[in-house]
Amino acid sequence: MSEGGRSRRRPFPLHAIGSYGLLTIGSILVAFPLLLALSYSLMTESEIATFPPPVLPAQPSLDNYARVLATIPIGRYLLNSVVVSSAVVIGQLVTASLAAYAFSFLVFRGRQVLFFIFLSTLMIPWEATIIPNYMTIRTIGWIDTYQGLAVPFMATAFGTFLLRQAFLQIPRELWDSARIDGASSFRFFVSMVLPLSRPILGTVAIYGFLSTYNQYFWPLLVTNQTLMRTTQVGIAQLRFEESLRWGLVMAGVIMVAVPTLALLVLGQRQLIRGLTAGAVKG
Amino acid sequence: MRKLATLALTFTFIAAACGGGIGGGDSSALAPGKDVKPAAKITWWHAMGGVNGEAINKIVAAFNASQSNTKVEAIFQGNYDDLLAKLNTAIASNAAPALVQVYDIGQAYMRDGGQVVPMQAFIDRDKFDTKDFEPAVINYYKYQDKLQSMPWNASSAILFYNKDAFKEAGLDPEKPPVTFTEVAEAAKKLTKKDGGTTTRYGFGPSIYGWLFEQLMATSGALYADNGNGRDNRATKVLWNSAQGKAILDWWKAGVDGGYFYNPGIDNAGATNAFNAGKTAMYIESTATLRNTINVAKFQVGTGLYPRPDSKPKDGGNIIGGASLYIMKSRPAEEQQAAWDFVKFAMTPAIQAQWQADTGYYPVVKAAYNEGPSKEWASKYPQFLTAVNEIRDSPQNRMTNGAVLGVMPQARQRTQKAIEAVLLGQATSQAALDAAVADINAQIEKYNKANP
Amino acid sequence: MGMSSRETRSLLTGLAYLAPSLILFVVFVFYPLGQSIYLSLFNTRATGAITTFAGLDHYRELLTSPAFRTGLVATGLFAMYTVPIGITLGLVLSVILNQRLRGINVFRTMMSSTIAISAAVGSLIWLLLFNPSLGLLDYVLSLVGIQGPDWLIQPSTAIIAVSITTIWLTLGTNIIVLLAGLQSVPEEIYEAARLDGARGLRMFTRITVPMVSPSLFFLLVVDTIGVLQAFTQIHLLTRGGPVDATNVLVYSIYLDAFQNFQFGYASAQAVILLLLVMALTLIQFRFVERRVHYQ
Repeated sequence: MSEGGRSRRRPFPLHAIGSYGLLTIGSILVAFPLLLALSYSLMTESEIATFPPPVLPAQPSLDNYARVLATIPIGRYLLNSVVVSSAVVIGQLVTASLAAYAFSFLVFRGRQVLFFIFLSTLMIPWEATIIPNYMTIRTIGWIDTYQGLAVPFMATAFGTFLLRQAFLQIPRELWDSARIDGASSFRFFVSMVLPLSRPILGTVAIYGFLSTYNQYFWPLLVTNQTLMRTTQVGIAQLRFEESLRWGLVMAGVIMVAVPTLALLVLGQRQLIRGLTAGAVKG
Repeated sequence: MRKLATLALTFTFIAAACGGGIGGGDSSALAPGKDVKPAAKITWWHAMGGVNGEAINKIVAAFNASQSNTKVEAIFQGNYDDLLAKLNTAIASNAAPALVQVYDIGQAYMRDGGQVVPMQAFIDRDKFDTKDFEPAVINYYKYQDKLQSMPWNASSAILFYNKDAFKEAGLDPEKPPVTFTEVAEAAKKLTKKDGGTTTRYGFGPSIYGWLFEQLMATSGALYADNGNGRDNRATKVLWNSAQGKAILDWWKAGVDGGYFYNPGIDNAGATNAFNAGKTAMYIESTATLRNTINVAKFQVGTGLYPRPDSKPKDGGNIIGGASLYIMKSRPAEEQQAAWDFVKFAMTPAIQAQWQADTGYYPVVKAAYNEGPSKEWASKYPQFLTAVNEIRDSPQNRMTNGAVLGVMPQARQRTQKAIEAVLLGQATSQAALDAAVADINAQIEKYNKANP
Repeated sequence: MGMSSRETRSLLTGLAYLAPSLILFVVFVFYPLGQSIYLSLFNTRATGAITTFAGLDHYRELLTSPAFRTGLVATGLFAMYTVPIGITLGLVLSVILNQRLRGINVFRTMMSSTIAISAAVGSLIWLLLFNPSLGLLDYVLSLVGIQGPDWLIQPSTAIIAVSITTIWLTLGTNIIVLLAGLQSVPEEIYEAARLDGARGLRMFTRITVPMVSPSLFFLLVVDTIGVLQAFTQIHLLTRGGPVDATNVLVYSIYLDAFQNFQFGYASAQAVILLLLVMALTLIQFRFVERRVHYQ
C-alpha cells in the first residue's frame, strides 16, 4: 500500500510551492486555537488581560506550569487516564472484533435486527443512562476503582461498525477454503481475520483511547478519591468560577493534551491506513 | 421500664435517620447526643477549584493536626452545579458524605429534601455562640429563623470602577456613583468613541441572575412571596413589580444609549472587559476583587452597589457564596465529627486565614483582629467597601434574599428575561410577566412534588 | 415456524460471539434506558424518588410547550450549520492534504490535531477566542476593518459561534476519515479521467466526490448523531442562551435532569430525542445511501 496522493502525482516545483503555502496557511488556521493555548500558557495573567490581545508572550515563563503541578497531582491523573483508556481499548478490541466477526462471517437468524440494536446504542443520550449506571457501579462496589471507570465503556457500537465494514472486505474464498480444511470458525477468526485486520484494529484502538481519555462527567461521578481522578477532572479543578485564570487553565490544557497529541503524531498514519478501503487485503 | 424508653428512643432515631425520602421538608432532625464519640474519618465534598481549593486543603490539614479523634478528607467534586448533581445521585444510593458545601441557591433544595441535620440542632445542643457572626451572612442561611447550614465562603456584590478612567473623564475618582441615574450619567461621561466604534464603555454588567437578585434587594423589593420564602414556602415570584421593571428599564436604556456594554451571560467575560479597560465600571462579586487588583494596570476603586434614585431605606445587599451542610443519612458519629470540624472552621484564626487565602470574607467578626486579616485589609483596602456595605444593609426579608426550591431555574429565567429585553424582543413588563408566569408554574409543580 | 437444529446451532454460535458486547450493552445501556422510559411516566421528587404516576403527561406537556418547539428549531439549525459545512471543509482540506509531498505528515497531523482535544478543552479555548475584550477573533477582524459581532450575545451569532466550535472539534475526525477515503480510490480511475480531459473542479465533482461518497455518507450519519448529542460546547459557551437560541434538546435534558432535578420530564425528553435520532438515521440510510457509490 502506498502512502500519498494520486491526484497530483508528479507536482512540479512551482506547484509544490503553492501547495506548501496552502498547507501552511490551512494548518496554522486549524491549529491556531491550540497554538494560542500554548502561547497563553506561557504568559502572565496581566499580559493576557491587555487589549489588543497579544499573540506571543513578551517573556515566556513556565510559572503557570509550576502552578499546575503545585495545584493538582497531574502526574497521577495522567497515569489514571492512560490506564483507564488502555483498559477500555483492550476491552473494546475483544468485544467489538468478536461481534463484528459474527455480523460479517456467521449467518444466523436475527442478525440484521441485532446489528441495528447495536447501532441504536450510539443514539441514546448520555443523560438517560448515567444515573442508573452510577447506581449499578455503586451496587457492585466499583466506586473509586479502575474497573468502574473502564468496564461500562468496553463495548462499542462504533468500533463494531467499523470492524464489520472491514471484515466484509476479506475475500470469501479464504473462509471457504479454511472451512474445507476443517478449521473451526473461531480458529479462522484468530488466525486469519485478526491478523489481516491489524490496521483497522489500530484505528478502533486509537478512537477508543481518545474518547475515553476525554471523558469528564463519568469519572467525576464514580470517583471520590483524588488518587483515582482523571485528567479532565483535573482541568475542572484548575478553574474556579469567580475568577478564571486563563494562563493557569491553558497550562493545564496543554499538559493534559500532550499524551493524546503524541498518540496522534505517532498514530496518524495508522489511523488513516486502518480506515482505507482494501487495507485488510494486506 | 428504662429498657423500654431506650428502645423507643432508638426507634425514633432510626425513623429520623431513614425518614429522608418520605418525610421531606423535615427541618427538625435532631443532633446526635453530646456524648456520641466523633467518627475517626469523615468526608467533606466541596466545589472550590484553583487557589481556593488549596486554601481548603490547608484548613483540613490544620484540623487533622489539631486533634487525634477525626481525620477529615476534603474532596473536590467539580463546580457548584456538578457537585449538587453528584450529591443528588449519591443521596439516592445512600452514598452522601458527612459534610458538604452547597451554593447559596441550593438552600431550599437541601432543606426540602429532608436530607440534612439543621445546624441549629447542634447550635442549640451545645449552646454554641453565634453572636459574633456577621448578621447578613448568618441570616441568609436561616429558614423560619433556624440556621440550616453553616455559612462558609461569603461574598457580596459591589461596584468596581476604574479610577484612572474617572480622572480622565473629569469625574471624582473618590466619589463613585451610587444611584441608577448617577451610574448612567457617569457611564455616559466615561464612554469613549473612536470614529464609529466604542473603545470604552461606561458600565458593563454581565447578564447574571444573581446581579438582578441584588438589584431587587437594593430596591427594597421582594423577589418572592411569603417573605422571600423565609416565613413559609414561596408560592410566587414577584419580579414584575414596579421595582423589577425599573431595573430592566434602566439597564435597557443604558445598552440602547451605547454607554452600557453587554458582555452576555459570561461573568468571566465581564471581568476580562473591565480588567482590560474596555469598560470603566461593572458590578461583580467581591470574590474577583483580589485578582482584578493584581491584574489590572489601573487603580481599581470599589463602591456601593447601585440602587434606585430614592435610595430605599429598607433596601440593601444580599450575601452570596456557599455554606456547609451536615447530612442526616450519615451515622451519628460522623455527624458529630462534622460538627467538630465546622466549629474549628469558624474560629477567628481559621476565618482570617481563609480570608487572606481566598478573598472571601470572614463569617465571624473577631477574625478581623487576626494578623492575616489585617494584612489583607492593608493590601486590599478596597475590600472594606464590601464589608461596610453588608454591615450597613438593614436586615429584613428583602435583604435576606429569596429561598426557592426552583432557585436555579428562577435565576436562569431572569437571565432569559433580561436578554429578551436587551435584545429588544420584549418590553421590560412583558418579559418579566412571561418569566413570572413560567416560574410560578414551576413553583407549583415543585411544591406538589416535594410536599 | 420452528427452527431446525442447525439454525438453532448457528444462532447460538452467533450469540456466543455477540455475548460480551451484548452483556455490556444490556447492563450499561438498555437496562438504564428502560429505567429512563419507566421514569418518564412518573413524577419524581428532587432526589429522584417516584411520587405519582403521570402517564403520558410529560410527553403531552412537552409536545405542546413552546420551549420544546424552540429547542427543536435550535437543534435543527445547529445540525444544519454544523454537519454539511464540517464535512465540506473536511473534504476540501483532505484533498489538499492528499498529496505526495515531503513533510506532508506534519501538515496532516496539524490539521487533524483537533481529534485529540476534548470538547471541554476545545470549548474553553474558543470561549477565550470569542471573548469580546480578550478575544483575538474580533481583534483580527478589526484589523481588516470589519467590526466583529458580539459572538455569544446575539442569538443569531451565538448559534454560529457554537457551530464554529463544533465544526472545529469534529474537523480532525472528518479529515482522517476522508483522507482514508481518498486513499482508497484506485489510481487508474484518476488516470482514466485525466485521459478524458478531466481537470481541477471537474475532476473534483465528477470523480473525487462520487469515489469518496461512502466516507461522506459515513460521516453524515456519525456527525449527525454526534451533533444531536453535543452538550459540552453549549454548556461552556452559551448555557442554552441567549433567549434559548442554543437550547438544543440534549442541553435542555441536562438542565431538567441535573439542575432542575425533574427526572420524569427529563427522561421523556431523552426518549423523544432517541426516537428523533433513530428516525433521522433510518431516513439517511433509506434516502441518502442510495446515492452512495460503493466500489
